[in-house]
Amino acid sequence: MNDNPSSIPIGNVLRADIRSFVVASRIPEPEVPTFGTFVRAPIQQGKSQLIGLVYDIRLQDDPFLRDLAATVVEGDPNYEEVIRDQREVRAVPVEISVVAIAYGDESGYHYGLPPQPPMILHRIHVCTLAEVRAITTQPDFLRPLLENRDVPADELITRALLRAAPLHGSAGTTDYQDYLLTAGRYLARRLGREPLRLETILQRLQG
Amino acid sequence: MQFMLRLERLKSAIEALSQQTQATSQQAEIELQYALHWLKTAPPAATLRERLPQAIQPGQEIAIPPLDMPLENRLNSETVPPRGTVIIGVDGSQIPPDRHAIALYYVLQAGALVFRYNGQAPTPQQHAELHFSEQELYDEEGLLITGQLGMRRAIAEMALATALAEQVRAEGAPTPILTLTDGPLLWPYSGRSREERESLLPAYFAAFDRLREVGGMPVGFIERPGGKPLLELLWQSRLDENGQPRHEDERHPEAVDDELLMAHFLAPGERSVWLKRLSPMNEKHHEPAGHPIWFCYLNLGEQDLPVIARIEAPQWAAEQEGWSTALHAVLLHQANILHGNPYVLARAHELALVTHQDKTALESLLHRRLLGHGIITRTSEKARQKGFF
Repeated sequence: MNDNPSSIPIGNVLRADIRSFVVASRIPEPEVPTFGTFVRAPIQQGKSQLIGLVYDIRLQDDPFLRDLAATVVEGDPNYEEVIRDQREVRAVPVEISVVAIAYGDESGYHYGLPPQPPMILHRIHVCTLAEVRAITTQPDFLRPLLENRDVPADELITRALLRAAPLHGSAGTTDYQDYLLTAGRYLARRLGREPLRLETILQRLQG
Repeated sequence: MQFMLRLERLKSAIEALSQQTQATSQQAEIELQYALHWLKTAPPAATLRERLPQAIQPGQEIAIPPLDMPLENRLNSETVPPRGTVIIGVDGSQIPPDRHAIALYYVLQAGALVFRYNGQAPTPQQHAELHFSEQELYDEEGLLITGQLGMRRAIAEMALATALAEQVRAEGAPTPILTLTDGPLLWPYSGRSREERESLLPAYFAAFDRLREVGGMPVGFIERPGGKPLLELLWQSRLDENGQPRHEDERHPEAVDDELLMAHFLAPGERSVWLKRLSPMNEKHHEPAGHPIWFCYLNLGEQDLPVIARIEAPQWAAEQEGWSTALHAVLLHQANILHGNPYVLARAHELALVTHQDKTALESLLHRRLLGHGIITRTSEKARQKGFF
């Protein structure tokens, strides 16, 4: 559960509560994590790792960028290098919102809310593929999302499952299908009273 | 929020300032018409050079046209920056030594952006130095350094520019490799201190030497340049052999300066001819070192919104027509992106900047390290209380 050197740091915790936290980051565009990325943050003085999913990414502007935005024209060769500088090199201020789904300690992963939120300025890393595989072995990691009305949970569930499934079996294989089938059954039990919501998620998974 | 400055008590001074500005502006408008006439009817460059006073008075600034081009020439750039051209913007910043801080030190940071006209993303660079030895912190009179920091920063900026120029030259960049610094290239200090004579100026000129070897063109960029070396030259052209005005109605210009003159003379995108400032620094230091500085004025603004910059370059670079043409095209492109301020300089400033937060983080780290060595430090009570406001 300790920092894995092969994982990518994305920023520091700016504010947090028990269900979610926001990471402030100044990283070039290619390194900005995508919606549904699994990330981890140290909690309890580093004894545990909170696991979360990226559910919102806000690109902040600044006066310099605002000044440029009125001038540059995408596709105009006159601004090619400048646009690449802003996108790829210059640290774009980004706020990344993460929803908590589990936490891990020496005894393994525990699904649900963590015992405490990550503290301010702790460094956040993208989970390695091995970590994502371990976290998503059981579909229980979806439970906190189903209960959270403050995030785009249905989109997030779909994205997380499609991200996790290839780690449990190559696309088109039985393992892959079985993984999604197990997750679908889990969702069916949890969303028995919300058939329309269930149908939407399942359609997205098939789509 | 409580305002600490009692503006009502400054009302009369603010009004006086406004009136003075208005009066100066009115006088400048009158003088400007004369100056434009003098410029358009200036004698040939060779004649102007002959008519210069033999001795330059201390504090007097006067330009001469080093090339035989009419002063009234306005040069335009028809070209776009040549493909592959490299411009390196460099700037610096510092944390000055502070007796009230937890330790006595200073930090210099130089930042640079290597901008290649090849469709690729530019490359950012930063170089920081922490200085804390007694010899570095105190001057020869035993006083804590103040002005020296700016000089040392200039050396750090030039060293970074040179290292990067060497690097891009090794990558096969075409000449000239433009290195653009924010501020004058003509050493803007007296040159009289021992440190300048023995250490800083030799380092400064060594950087010029190296840049010349690798095909670099050091350039200084000064927006809102102030001063009137060109006007002084024009005024000299209006005097007779006895130093008296040939025309009774003409007086020495007091309110107008070169920037205002150029704002009404140069159309957007145009530059003046190269000029050379006759100053003790240029004559006594730059010239013997082989790097006399020339300058020209360039309008980087738009119609009715002139942005006049003074561009400085060493003679050996400025007199190469192809290099001047490339510089002109690149500066127009760079300035067009940010309304008159070269993009590489804005980015270099951003990369070099040491913020208040940076200083806080550095001192926090320093505090922890010192604590690890059993040394408890704290800022002075004065500094701590100043932090309340």
